[in-house]
Amino acid sequence: MNVIIGEVRDGGGIPQGDVLVAFAEAVVGGDEDRLTAARAAVVDALGTDALVDACAVASMFNAIDRVADSTGVPIDEDRLAPTADFRESLGITAFPSGRGGG
Amino acid sequence: MAELNYDDAPFAVRGDLAVVHGDTWDRLASPGTWLDAETRVAIAAEVRAVKDCVLCRARKEALSPYGVDGVHDTSGALPDNIVDVVHRVVSDPARLMKKWYDDCLAGGTTEEEYVEIIGVVCSTVAVDTFAHAAGLPLRKLPAPKPGAPSRQRPPNAKQGPAWVPWIGADDAEGDDIPRFGPPGSNVRRALSLVPAEAHGFMEMNEIHYLNGVQMRDFSTDYRAITRAQIELVAGRVSAINQCAY
Repeated sequence: MNVIIGEVRDGGGIPQGDVLVAFAEAVVGGDEDRLTAARAAVVDALGTDALVDACAVASMFNAIDRVADSTGVPIDEDRLAPTADFRESLGITAFPSGRGGG
Repeated sequence: MAELNYDDAPFAVRGDLAVVHGDTWDRLASPGTWLDAETRVAIAAEVRAVKDCVLCRARKEALSPYGVDGVHDTSGALPDNIVDVVHRVVSDPARLMKKWYDDCLAGGTTEEEYVEIIGVVCSTVAVDTFAHAAGLPLRKLPAPKPGAPSRQRPPNAKQGPAWVPWIGADDAEGDDIPRFGPPGSNVRRALSLVPAEAHGFMEMNEIHYLNGVQMRDFSTDYRAITRAQIELVAGRVSAINQCAY
């Protein structure tokens, strides 16, 4: 989980995880040179079909995050308790969008 | 059908992605439930204008985005209340506040219009981010179609724990039970005040990410990247976006 919040850079033991994390960061990062390099690294490591699927996942979550944030939907009740500890330990509850209605 | 393809890509793009993006463009170009097609396409164009907005950049860099006043750099086709929703949702979604949403309603945007705006914005963000990520030019926006909004609010939508009213898990009826009922997650219900937007957006989600059956099946790889790799990409994007959901 530390890979997801950017504290660890090794891909978390997931094959080519470091390449995919770098790509995800570049997609939402705003640096075109970095994105070009990250895209090429995904193609080199995993191929073009994998690049397309990584693009699809990254783009959908870039959108669905905005649906959640702009409509104020709460985390599903059945997921609250099982995820409470790691959300707290990773600092996710401190995200602005997690601090409630404000 | 709005024309959208990836024939210009230097690699093969999955056919179902091109189809769902074409469907999304077609939905965007059609009269909505509360907004006409001209407004919907103008909202999509406004999404693209946000990257050049000086006010949005200043707000993004500020300790609080609500302490920075100014005027958005806009394409000029939309009223100010819609422009502000589009720009804030695109540029700084993690710091949207319930009070800001309430102010939107007090400023004349109805809750139904707000939800439809969010649906159009986020659908555009998905298609545009895909092209950007893949290194392709943004797809040409579709031409708006004539016609009037249907203006039908689902009678079973009511205020729940979200900011916006929705069709709650226990209030879903008929075909909407699998979509908004108990099996579904809250984010699937988020746009359910305007069911056409909710359905269209979640259909896109099933092609980009996984459908419900695929999500519960951890033993099969449905994509060219593994489930662990999918969740890694999804989680890292959401963490950078500081999305607590």
